[in-house]
Amino acid sequence: MAAWSERLAGVRGVLLDISGVLYDGGEGGGAAIAGSVEAVARLKRSRLKVRFCTNESQKSRADLVGLLRRLGFDVSEGEVTAPAPAACLILKQRGLRPHLLVHDGVRSEFDQIDTSNPNCVVIADAGEDFSYRNMNKAFQVLMELENPVLFSLGKGRYYKETSGLMLDVGPYMKALEYACGIEAEVVGKPSPEFFKSALQEMGVEAHEAIMIGDDIVGDVGGAQQYGMRALQVRTGKFR
Amino acid sequence: MAARRALKAVLVDLSGTLHIEDAAVPGAQEALKRLRATSVMVRFVTNTTKESKQDLLERLKKLEFDISEDEIFTSLTAARNLVEQQQVRPMLLVDDRALPDFKGIQTSDPNAVVIGLAPEHFHYQILNQAFRLLLDGAPLIAIHKARYYKRKDGLALGPGPFVTALEYATDTKATVVGKPEKTFFLEALRGTGCEPEETVMIGDDCRDDVGGAQNAGMRGILVKTGKYRAADEDKINPAPYLTCESFPHAVDHILQHLL
Repeated sequence: MAAWSERLAGVRGVLLDISGVLYDGGEGGGAAIAGSVEAVARLKRSRLKVRFCTNESQKSRADLVGLLRRLGFDVSEGEVTAPAPAACLILKQRGLRPHLLVHDGVRSEFDQIDTSNPNCVVIADAGEDFSYRNMNKAFQVLMELENPVLFSLGKGRYYKETSGLMLDVGPYMKALEYACGIEAEVVGKPSPEFFKSALQEMGVEAHEAIMIGDDIVGDVGGAQQYGMRALQVRTGKFR
Repeated sequence: MAARRALKAVLVDLSGTLHIEDAAVPGAQEALKRLRATSVMVRFVTNTTKESKQDLLERLKKLEFDISEDEIFTSLTAARNLVEQQQVRPMLLVDDRALPDFKGIQTSDPNAVVIGLAPEHFHYQILNQAFRLLLDGAPLIAIHKARYYKRKDGLALGPGPFVTALEYATDTKATVVGKPEKTFFLEALRGTGCEPEETVMIGDDCRDDVGGAQNAGMRGILVKTGKYRAADEDKINPAPYLTCESFPHAVDHILQHLL
């Protein structure tokens, strides 16, 4: 195997996953992963460009950044690529009005979106709000539509919180797909459009970027499929 | 043409075949008596996830059907059998009314998950508990995988979507025990000493009753009562052995041609 310096040649930018790499969520906000605060600081002191590329969809960017800063991380909203804002762009472009199956914590990201008389469903990591009733409501909306459209903010299977592993949006997306006989459009990792926009914001080409993540499929697989290099960490959801 | 094996057992679906809601199919009680006058073994089979055998028995007795509890085989029975075979302690995500069918099964410190139609259990906390058990290697047993069912307020999610969710989350496959799974039909014959080739299944659901039974090596008779819709018989391949008006007609055919 080639030396690390060869394998990392030409890297100008780093995309950082957040949950499972920088911190684990949970009670009281969660906990920073040992050494991550300092590691981010070191990256920022270097010549490398840094951007945060997350599938976080339970909290708004503002809440997420506030939480990370309280844990000591040097991060600002403008440095984060997240799925809810990406979904809003798509909804606006296609004139779609969503029924939102989301956690209240992320609802503010959809303030500029018309949600009356919905003609599609957006599902995010709703956590505790994935009640049977809420799932059923989303299902009924889809079944009433002549052309049922379902957007899923990511499709991760699970993530790590301080109390243990937690079901992510992916399983619930699959539940609605199965119930309605449809396929969801995924907004967020590992969809190529999401990586494209993160790289554009960072001003770096795929072959000059490296993604660091804990999800072998969503982060590492997705990044490499897009032509980036990727590093798998053994924190977070890694098993 | 090779001679067919003699008929030794008849499986009969309940809802839609013997009765529609709280009314018996006309002539069904009498037809059952005629069938019993022969030497065939009779079993009553259903995919219920929320009625215990007692509940089913009570309803059928009220409608004056001559049936005993040990002739009834449900998807809940199939799940219980599998749990006993595998010697596991299940987390039971089933309707409270189904619990009597699991009497005597150890459920503390679970190392398996059994999932039926139980909307009251399909919220995040409970599903997350089930998910963690499965990730640790516990088997997932699904009573059936119906996508949805009809309620007064419209369509409602069945257990299928939630089984799919857990399968995806843990990258495993559930063992589905209800119709139209082959094992359901084979299990229904357990204790009768009869083979699938010696059995006829009578039901109103072309895919789940007739298709499933024929796939298990039985002959299937599709009756045009209950959920039957015109041309249902064209939807499976091979076609039903016979399509006829109702259960009494099916019994007539059996008595005239198969015995």
